[in-house]
Amino acid sequence: MKQKIGIIGLGNPLRRDDGVGILLLQHLQTQKDYLPKNIEYIDGGTSGMNLLHLLAQFDAVMIIDAVDFKGKPGDTRVFSLNDIQNQKKPMILSTHDSDFLHILRLSQELKELPETLVIFGVQPRDVSHGIGLSKEIEMILDDLYLKVQKEIQNLIN
Amino acid sequence: MSKDFSVHVEHITRVEGHGNIVLDVKNGKIEKLQWNVVEAPRFFEAMLRGQQYNELRPITSRICGICSIGHSLASLKATEDAFDIKITKQTAILRRLAIHAENMQSHILHIGYLVAPDLFGVGSVFPLVGKHTDTVMKIVKLHRLANEMSDLICGRTIHPIRLIVGGFSLVPTERQLLHLKNRLAEAQDLTKELAVVIQSVADKLPTFTRETEYIGLTSDSEYALYDGVIASTDTGKHPAYRDYKEVINEYIVPQSTAKYAKHARESYMVGALARFNLNSTQLHPVAQEVAHMFRLKPLTYNPFMNTIAQLVEFSHSIEDSLLLINSLLDQGIKQEKPVKPVVKAGRGVGIVEVPRGILVHDYTLNSKGYCTKANCIIPTNQNHANIQLDMEKLVPEILTKSQKEIELTLEMLVRAYDPCISCSTHYLDVIFV
Repeated sequence: MKQKIGIIGLGNPLRRDDGVGILLLQHLQTQKDYLPKNIEYIDGGTSGMNLLHLLAQFDAVMIIDAVDFKGKPGDTRVFSLNDIQNQKKPMILSTHDSDFLHILRLSQELKELPETLVIFGVQPRDVSHGIGLSKEIEMILDDLYLKVQKEIQNLIN
Repeated sequence: MSKDFSVHVEHITRVEGHGNIVLDVKNGKIEKLQWNVVEAPRFFEAMLRGQQYNELRPITSRICGICSIGHSLASLKATEDAFDIKITKQTAILRRLAIHAENMQSHILHIGYLVAPDLFGVGSVFPLVGKHTDTVMKIVKLHRLANEMSDLICGRTIHPIRLIVGGFSLVPTERQLLHLKNRLAEAQDLTKELAVVIQSVADKLPTFTRETEYIGLTSDSEYALYDGVIASTDTGKHPAYRDYKEVINEYIVPQSTAKYAKHARESYMVGALARFNLNSTQLHPVAQEVAHMFRLKPLTYNPFMNTIAQLVEFSHSIEDSLLLINSLLDQGIKQEKPVKPVVKAGRGVGIVEVPRGILVHDYTLNSKGYCTKANCIIPTNQNHANIQLDMEKLVPEILTKSQKEIELTLEMLVRAYDPCISCSTHYLDVIFV
């Protein structure tokens, strides 16, 4: 079992489906008494460069976030560190020009990159300004939560 | 000099959000020069309408990942103003610590990750890791400390949870404050060392001046961040805080989706340099020393020196935090119950200084405490007109330089303002191959 595991929800709940990572994270926080003890659950919001410091705290990290991978709204996909590092286009995870690849590179240069890092991505339908998820994502939130739990188990094992 | 060239910088890097620089020169004459803000309009005020008073703070804390503490404090001050709530002395001290934490987080991020690459002549922070490892480690350590301080006071690194209407849901223990005090004392030495490094490359900051108006909060008792009255270097103090629109006159321009602002002149500047120009005599001694190292004196009309003013403020925030922690320890920190609001209809205005300048939240609440009207004025919008006018004076002065140098100088000018163009943009758009 990994020593220190961090589950980081990212996103902005003021941009509809972009907040799905935060909602899933908040749900995990309410259930943490029933989940393994060596896991920390962090609401990273629109972290930007702060993500660099969050990554430094853990041996294994799972980021939960809205990701546009050109799927159907609500589709999920798990990206490994290798997937992330091999893709060509900048990944803007947050504000302040914080290209996720840059953060990973900096983390690597500082020898702080977690041994394991995965992104649990949910394909959003609507990331316009507003509070509340789109109907498509709202309807499958329970399924998404079960999938996240399964991925946490994979991360632990 | 006769030459034709165009500079079109789309989505200038190392700033938050999307802004473009457009420059067309024909026969050595400037035909077009524009600072364009191209973000989609934001609708935060609309999101606040219909929300109950205790939801306004959590919602506005999500507007920005960099200024989430500042938005929280402006929001609480507006709500408390509407309900005539008087906070306790302890809450006022803790809120000042919170605003220092944010100022430190944001300033070191801007100085270290966004501006330092320009000063060292590289394109990003990466080449610095190998060549200037020690400097990068100082920046990372200081950034990390500011995050820890925010975590301790606010309950989170960003998007705080302990700041609530009337007080704090949880306060740090005496032991935690003592630990923070020791860490801050160490950080002051590190900051001085960083200042020496920045001083060694400060000649890369262009020597440009344009007289303008500077606007910020001011206070008789302190270097104003959490509280104070609006003041201008042109017109002095404007104590009627609810009439902030007499100073901040927002208007619309065709080239931008963001609002612009002006007061006594065609433009004004807010942020660290504005605060320094207004309140430098109230800086603590080490911050004064740092200002002296860079010969930074009021009134400084060079916008590129905003980054140096941020470094000065970083040092001031450490010193002021140490004094605030001492006063908390002297009086004894205790878990106070937040002041309970008596809900009533009314209007409240909250104004604070966030890293980039004056932030205003203005709410109208009905008799049940629901928001019926809201207005939020962010600092970056107040700086756009000043950036445009700076460019109009700067470009003719540097036209003999190469196109590449002109482009870099204009990008550095925009970056100097540390603009936060799209406070809530957050969307992962990737193509995997």
